[in-house]
Amino acid sequence: MKHLLTSDTEVDDLERLGLLASALSGSPLQVASLESGEPAWTDGKTVFIDPATDVRGRLQALTVQASLLAAGSLAPEVIGKLARRPALARRYLAVEGHRALVANDQLLPPVVRSLIDCDIAARSDSPAASLAAAQSVQEIADPPAIFGAIRVRNLLASKGRADPSKPTGEHIPGRQSDKKLAELHEDENGDGGDVVDIFSSPVGGGGAIGRLLQKMLGVVRQLGEGGSPGADAPTHRTRSGARGGASFVFSTRQAGVIDDDGDAQRGTTYPEWDVHRRRYRPNWCTIQEVEPRPKADDTALGLSDAYGLRRPLARLGVGLDRFHRQVQGDDIDIDAAVEARVEVLAGSAPDEAVYLDSLRRRRDLAVLLLLDISGSVAEPGAQGQTVHEQQRAAAAAFTIALHDLGDRVALYAFHSHGRSAVTLIPVKRFDDAVDTLVMRRLRGLVPGAYSRLGAAIRHGAAVLEGHGGTSRRLLVVLSDGLAFDEGYERVYGAADARRALAEARRRGTGCLCLTIGASTDADELRRVFGSAAHAAVPRLDELNQMIGPLFRSALRSAEVRRQISARNKLSRERNDA
Amino acid sequence: MPDQERRPYYVPVGDEEHVFKAAFRQGLSVMLKGPTGCGKTRFVEAMAYDLERPLITVACHDDLTTADLVGRFLLRGGETEWVDGPLTRAVREGAICYLDEVVEARQDTTVVLHPLADHRRQLPIDRLGITLDAAPGFCLVVSYNPGYQSVLKDLKDSTRQRMIAIEFGFPPTDVEEKIVACEAAIDHDKAAQLVRFGHAIRRLETAGLREVASTRVLIAAGRLTAEGLSPRVAARVAVVGPLTDDSIVTRGLVEMIDAYLSDQVT
Repeated sequence: MKHLLTSDTEVDDLERLGLLASALSGSPLQVASLESGEPAWTDGKTVFIDPATDVRGRLQALTVQASLLAAGSLAPEVIGKLARRPALARRYLAVEGHRALVANDQLLPPVVRSLIDCDIAARSDSPAASLAAAQSVQEIADPPAIFGAIRVRNLLASKGRADPSKPTGEHIPGRQSDKKLAELHEDENGDGGDVVDIFSSPVGGGGAIGRLLQKMLGVVRQLGEGGSPGADAPTHRTRSGARGGASFVFSTRQAGVIDDDGDAQRGTTYPEWDVHRRRYRPNWCTIQEVEPRPKADDTALGLSDAYGLRRPLARLGVGLDRFHRQVQGDDIDIDAAVEARVEVLAGSAPDEAVYLDSLRRRRDLAVLLLLDISGSVAEPGAQGQTVHEQQRAAAAAFTIALHDLGDRVALYAFHSHGRSAVTLIPVKRFDDAVDTLVMRRLRGLVPGAYSRLGAAIRHGAAVLEGHGGTSRRLLVVLSDGLAFDEGYERVYGAADARRALAEARRRGTGCLCLTIGASTDADELRRVFGSAAHAAVPRLDELNQMIGPLFRSALRSAEVRRQISARNKLSRERNDA
Repeated sequence: MPDQERRPYYVPVGDEEHVFKAAFRQGLSVMLKGPTGCGKTRFVEAMAYDLERPLITVACHDDLTTADLVGRFLLRGGETEWVDGPLTRAVREGAICYLDEVVEARQDTTVVLHPLADHRRQLPIDRLGITLDAAPGFCLVVSYNPGYQSVLKDLKDSTRQRMIAIEFGFPPTDVEEKIVACEAAIDHDKAAQLVRFGHAIRRLETAGLREVASTRVLIAAGRLTAEGLSPRVAARVAVVGPLTDDSIVTRGLVEMIDAYLSDQVT
């Protein structure tokens, strides 16, 4: 129920408060709406507030919840003692709320400071002391309604998810709350999360049957929307044990959005290499560019240089060059000076550009990142995260690092559903800025369907050559190396992908293929990526050590190819002449 | 001699003034570390005033060459003429030479500082074929922002180890309120509001902002309010605008302005 949203503008309004909430709590925190009339609460990652309250009320409710988090009031060891005791939780909130606000006083917005009751705050100096006060017999007035509520279960469930060493099931006993019905009546708000969970998971959610049902229901819904279950199935994550949380990943889209033969006329067509007949099939594949759908949950992908990629990438081609005949510079350019002197003596106006200067060679590099989002990358990799999550993090890191270095960079994701529906999703085109929207688009990508690698590479190379705008170009393919689609079986697909890479290299575009965290074996990768620079990176944090040499060798081989083809062209022209 | 009549306004937070003066008397070079807008430049100005030395400031940029610092030959008519760079001038005059944002300079440029920064206190000028001994009172000061986004430029260890380092942070709340009130000539309550807002932004360090609100931007906002702008408008143009271009982050920050700053103009 808590995710029921009334209108887009309200959602937007609340979302904007996220920065304020993060500032007040000192850690990333989002704001979402709950059903009108319910008290505000938080699960430690998101604050849920009633969108119907006025601006002042929202601010106060938000500040109280964020301050509770900042002051450590909601630490599991304290609130664990409040579980299933709503009356105690209210008494605790009444004392601890004031204490948390006082502790956070330096940061409180002015309208919130009026909430503080110093007398109550003085009763406690720590969460433990507040708990002791709440447990004592002393009289404590109910907290103001704006303080909201502490939802112990949601908090514990969320903390449990954050700490993988503890199985979540321990914190969420199935339906034990029935035993405490007497206390529940004292306070209807105390454990509202329970109701929510029963709705969303009819058999208790955490158990094996619940997971199975979730899975089945999920797939059924996919079918209802006309998607292909075979293609989408591996992409689904179950909601096992995830109660009251904010970050599920589950697919609600069909993979082949445009798999309709009638569409074959639209989009861009590319040939495909038929290895069995040793010839190209002209206009065989149709590429569609589909606008991405941003996803508002973007806490995990900041704009920082997370994996230290900037330093190795910075060393690509930033040497110093000496430039002659400059208007200003370190030294006098003797030749130019002599000429200028001669001109003066001859009576004409001299050229004043008589200096030598050493300048950094301009970075002249455009990079297009191709991100594989076929169904196979949704499988868990070696590090617990799915291959998709790791590739996505790498794509974000590359985009940010290269952009910061002043390179032209674009990021396209791809998957396919037959030769007439190869979909490329421009997450960032060359001319887009790197901002939160790009990161949200990236977060919004959902793996599904197959990968017709060759067509994606041909389109990526074409975009790079058309819009890159620099003479040095690099195509980076982030894929698990499993090229497979309808009528595109392994051997055929590998040959086509290899061919597509070779075509791009021949036109002077460097190609680099990276497999991150996937368990694809080296022979398979070699079959698909051929002689292009390719590497399997087992862990993301090893990327920064490997990436410098890989980029350099990819660029160098393209440079060599370009020189060879330029020479060949020249000699052909001479022969013709 | 110092240019200003009055001592530049600087409020010490710790023992940085004693440390600097001790280093100056011992002829040691000083590295000032800290985020942008926390008062490094103002500190050097105040020190130059106290020590009665002229201050020569060089804002370093990524095309700054050795010749820009040391000097170069120019052609005048038919003759070549040597023109001292700012570093050479400071060495000759015994001035405090302040290289602002020294990491921005190219690494081959910072090497010229080595013989100056260590016990030799000499500046070799190979184009002239001479080596200058630094005049008494010469002091090399560089500033350096460790969290600065150009990670690709870092100071060489051999450069760093020739200097002593003074770390700067944003001043504590009460000091910062005093600074903002004094610099912007606004009343203490308004300054306190701005500082509270600034502190809230500083808590966001990880959430998509590269830099946080510095004392400098808070003072700028204060100065705009002194001109009659409402605090909200002032904070939007002086704090939010400079911090980010990202529309989503901007909206979040504007929401924070609404929470922290009142709208009335007094």
